[in-house]
Amino acid sequence: MTKHILVVGGGIGGTMTANSIVAKLYPEVARGAVKVTLLSDSPWHYYKPAFMYVAFDMFFEGELRRKQQSLLRPEIDFRVDKVTSFDFAGSKVKTQSGKTIGYDYIVVSTGCLPAPERIPGLKEAGDYFYQQKPALQMAERLRKFEKGRIFITVNFPKTPNVPHQCGIAPVETTLMLDEYLRRKGVRDQVEIVYTYPTVSQLLRNCLFLQQEVCEVMPAIFESKGIKYQRGFTLASVDPERKVATSEEGKEEGFDLLMCTPPIRAVDAVLESGVSQAANNEGWLPTNRQTLQLEGFPNAYVMGDTVDLPISKAGGSCHNQCPIIANNIAGDLRLGRTVDVYDGKVQAVAQMGLEAGMPLWYDYDEDVHPTPPTKVGGLLRKAFNRGIYWSVARGII
Amino acid sequence: MNTSSSDTGATLTETAAALSPLLDEATERGLKELLEKVAPLIQGRRFHNVVDLLSLASDGVDMFDDAMVQKLMKAYEESVGTAWALGNAARYAQNQAATLPVPTLFGLLRTAGNEDVRRGLHFVLQFLAVLGRQMNNDVEE
Repeated sequence: MTKHILVVGGGIGGTMTANSIVAKLYPEVARGAVKVTLLSDSPWHYYKPAFMYVAFDMFFEGELRRKQQSLLRPEIDFRVDKVTSFDFAGSKVKTQSGKTIGYDYIVVSTGCLPAPERIPGLKEAGDYFYQQKPALQMAERLRKFEKGRIFITVNFPKTPNVPHQCGIAPVETTLMLDEYLRRKGVRDQVEIVYTYPTVSQLLRNCLFLQQEVCEVMPAIFESKGIKYQRGFTLASVDPERKVATSEEGKEEGFDLLMCTPPIRAVDAVLESGVSQAANNEGWLPTNRQTLQLEGFPNAYVMGDTVDLPISKAGGSCHNQCPIIANNIAGDLRLGRTVDVYDGKVQAVAQMGLEAGMPLWYDYDEDVHPTPPTKVGGLLRKAFNRGIYWSVARGII
Repeated sequence: MNTSSSDTGATLTETAAALSPLLDEATERGLKELLEKVAPLIQGRRFHNVVDLLSLASDGVDMFDDAMVQKLMKAYEESVGTAWALGNAARYAQNQAATLPVPTLFGLLRTAGNEDVRRGLHFVLQFLAVLGRQMNNDVEE
């Protein structure tokens, strides 16, 4: 009987994992013993990190998206249909089109959503770059911005030891902002204030979510005239007065509020009833080694949807994808999982508009920061403009 | 005691701080090992070629800019994407041909009526049309 592997989510995690599963299980797929289906709510695949560049007028829409079908192996049954509910116990999902789809294995890679509405006033007054429309809005505001105060806040999930979206993004965009304003010739009329909350995963009163990077940040910011504050946990925003208030009792004025907003899982995951995350954030309880959903051995979770302490970014998916493909293959062929995720994440951080800094870390070892370089910047640009699509196809 | 260096004006403390990575025991050991490895290359003037290559690579880095990266990566993605799509199609078709029964002539005609097959045939004809247009030599000397 044909085994059905259902991959939910057409982002980088779902796309590369569907491709990798077909590659790993090709003998079974070729003889019809395994069928792979990918469900996505969009016929387009977006390179999400490019939204950060959209905010600085460096990427057009046509450059940051491709037709999803063009990134998938032909053996994958791709359907544009949104999952509206998960029934992990019954091994089936319901979709927006009214279908019920059963599976033998499922990979949940549904990402996360910015939820600025979870902090009073933030949706009305804050700008962010994690989605295309808000990034375009921010680009428009930055284009007109010539003097004043840009206040930067970072908001962590309330679930303990779970990071915000893309750990390095707030630092990247702060440095990009500095250089963008210098190019415009208005930097000396703009005050940039970078802040970080009191609690950042396991750290307290830092400027980044890992100690070693946190220690080099003051020198980097001071060299660029960027002000910084520790211990600013955003509690509310007054859009009329343009004032941000922290849980620590501080009030800070701003002309532009650039934020990393709170995040949550998508509705269908939130409503699955499986999550034990705080604040109704919806992160699925994930086995940190096998990446199986706790209590449901035929379900795997990856990317932003996990409740693990590693970055919610494509660099995590890239390392989780082969583990999931191997474990599904192991379970099908040997009756047990065979691979273990070590928490590895790698990326090339965009440090300003030109320089880049390759980095990696895992469960046991933090990032060791190195000086940003032009070569690193070229590598990041090459990734943005071409290599990414090979990663999505499962070639790299 | 005067602790200022006569050439640079740096104090001894500053000079020692600047050299501190070199004073590290592991660095010193690593450099010594590296020198031992490189020595025959230097003696045989072969290291010159390595330096020339590094210089060339460095020139390349200096010349690269955003526009060049975009053009190169567009060519990369188009070629890799096309090769990948063609490879996929060939593998898929090979597997289908190997596993499905050989169709009759009428069966082939029925297959040709499939929308995806017609789209593929249309692509092939358009592809040939472009080749034909590019090969048009109807130009007066």
